[in-house]
Amino acid sequence: MRIVEVILAPILALLIGMFFLGLARKIMARIHWRYGPPITQPVIDVIRLFSQKSVSHGNMFTLGVLFSLACSLVLILFLPMGKICPLSSSGGMLVILYVMLLAPFGIALSGGEAANPNASIGISRKLTLALGYEVPLLVILLAVMTHYKTLSIVNIVSMQQNTSWALTSLPLFLSGIAYILILPAILGIRPFEITQAAQEISSGPMVEYGGSFLALATIQHGLNLFIGIALFVNLFLGGAGNPPIFFLKMLVVFVLGLFINAALPRLRIEQAMRYLWRWPTLIAFIGMIIVLIIRR
Amino acid sequence: MDRNQIIKWLKAPAKMGHKYSLHAIYFCTGCGIIEVPPVITARWDAERFGVIPVATPRQANLFLITGYVSVKTLKAIIRTYEQMPSPKFTVGFGSCPINGGMYWDSYNTIKRLDKYIPIDGWIAGCMPRPEAIFVAVTHLWTLIDKDMADGYKRYRSNYHLYRANQEQLFGELEWPPLFPLEDQVEQIA
Repeated sequence: MRIVEVILAPILALLIGMFFLGLARKIMARIHWRYGPPITQPVIDVIRLFSQKSVSHGNMFTLGVLFSLACSLVLILFLPMGKICPLSSSGGMLVILYVMLLAPFGIALSGGEAANPNASIGISRKLTLALGYEVPLLVILLAVMTHYKTLSIVNIVSMQQNTSWALTSLPLFLSGIAYILILPAILGIRPFEITQAAQEISSGPMVEYGGSFLALATIQHGLNLFIGIALFVNLFLGGAGNPPIFFLKMLVVFVLGLFINAALPRLRIEQAMRYLWRWPTLIAFIGMIIVLIIRR
Repeated sequence: MDRNQIIKWLKAPAKMGHKYSLHAIYFCTGCGIIEVPPVITARWDAERFGVIPVATPRQANLFLITGYVSVKTLKAIIRTYEQMPSPKFTVGFGSCPINGGMYWDSYNTIKRLDKYIPIDGWIAGCMPRPEAIFVAVTHLWTLIDKDMADGYKRYRSNYHLYRANQEQLFGELEWPPLFPLEDQVEQIA
């Protein structure tokens, strides 16, 4: 049974991630009053990219993309989705904490091998942004762990289903707000789209990616969307008893994120850092203190 | 998507992928680029057909040469074209790349772009309307279906001729040949 889940979970995540990418383009188009591409457009793009001849710029260029993709797939195995939780055990949260930083690192290693100046600017932005959202994220996760007295996401989900969602309960309310504030940075959507700014640095770390490398990077981007939202749904929206409800909750969160994406312009990197280390970190710290006081 | 397309997708997924995901390199080669922003934004919305602009030649497979080509721009065009990954399609947009257009007697513009890089299709007019780009895209679909959009293959098989034309214009080229030249010359001889 567990083997089936180990195979099923990445495939499901892949499908949902590609669906999210297609939905993003369609919804953005409808907001612009355009008709928009078919919802399968990212899948068509990936098929086209795999069939193109691709140029590698070195061993690290090839391995970095695969490394990043592998990190995302490992993360998915540790995230419970509804009842599907292949490898979640007592310390799942710690694995997520560690591996979550490795996925941008793989893209950074790979893009650095190409030695394109645009790629190095994109990489420095990507790692700086990761540093920006990791600080509030750590505080938020610490608050959640302290409140539920466990490191296992499965236990957190089941505890939320017995009582109420963490976002609507008092001690974790502020932590949930802080997570919502950093969610666009984790997903890399518009106010924090600084890493892949196509207009200023020619899509950043992706600048030398073509053919199957770009296809793998696109798939990784889809999985990254999946991971950021799934973690939020699991920790603050009470997870779900079965996969369809879980994916429905993810869809709602993602569409709300898309509206933010459509409404806001792109920040500069130092504005993003100032924002991330000021408001979400402050709110997360206050939430943490509230959790500690209530536990006493 | 109608039922005929499902069979086509199963038979040749790569070809259908090339058809419906044309990523155009956003390279402002001349005055014709002014027609591209309306095409990709809300008024004409090229994304319906899967045509979107991308920032780098590595991610692209459609190259729109929009407007006149000066000698200096041609150098950049050739290098951009050679960087694009292999099934790639080129469309000359406007009269200038076809025969020089209104710059027919200029000392500094290219009269026939087809001598330097292979072109899969032309859009005539000065300026062509944005609708002409959609007509060109649908024509390109037909060409891809019939395997007639083979500019990249022609570039490979006739590379020594294209290279000779480029060298005739620029003198010594700064970059090494994309394909080995000696084999082709030997094959001819």
